[in-house]
Amino acid sequence: MRQPGAYSRLLAGGISGKTGPHSLPLARIKKIMKNSSDEVKMISGEAPIVFSKACELFIEELTKRAWMMTLQAKRSTLHREDVASAVMNIDIFDFLVNLVSENSGKSEDPQPVTEA
Amino acid sequence: MIDEQDKLLPIANVGRIMKHILPRNAKISKEAKETMQECVSEFISFITSEASDKCHKENRKTVNGDDICWALSSLGFDNNSEVMLKYLHKFREYERQKAEQNKASSSEEKDDVTSYRLGLQPDTSTPLEFRVLDKGGSSSANPK
Repeated sequence: MRQPGAYSRLLAGGISGKTGPHSLPLARIKKIMKNSSDEVKMISGEAPIVFSKACELFIEELTKRAWMMTLQAKRSTLHREDVASAVMNIDIFDFLVNLVSENSGKSEDPQPVTEA
Repeated sequence: MIDEQDKLLPIANVGRIMKHILPRNAKISKEAKETMQECVSEFISFITSEASDKCHKENRKTVNGDDICWALSSLGFDNNSEVMLKYLHKFREYERQKAEQNKASSSEEKDDVTSYRLGLQPDTSTPLEFRVLDKGGSSSANPK
């Protein structure tokens, strides 16, 4: 389902203003970057900006995949379990497997996640 | 509590991006947004570690945009990596032009700080605009 056109538009087009030039807070991104490893000493100014875009694409990708799970389950509300399923299904999201497994482990709801 | 939030991107921003990519009738549970928040932070850490590792091996102290793009590609986010490289180059070109304009108006700004500050101000109308992917359009990282 690859549409290079969508990406080209991404570069050539313009933001309609729905999202700002950087829709994610750069300072926070930088903080998370610094936390990631002791080796991270200095971060160039452009790195959080690149990440802002990369994260957006990442969220979009994972959300779309999760939504497919939602549709398969014939629901119209995207649940945590759909995100988890998407993670399990896709290799490049392997690094998230532990994270989503932990999540289902420490769910605040006593019962399985189902929304009326 | 505050510490924890510092390690996550704001749920409002995350939720907004999620919402944009879904059909209008779609709803998103709060837990799903929270899970996505954590996934994004993990993503940032994951990519940054890889990029930082490369810098370390090459005896460089500063992780830059190219390193992020390289790490994205190296870890399988090929599609994103290409896009990011183009984005980065466009951004740098923009920065260069801006710097030239600033030179002409003789204001003193440092490169990195400039680019960082410009990025931080949403009110600043930047010529560098990118359209969020349409709902109908789909893009995908290559599933292995």
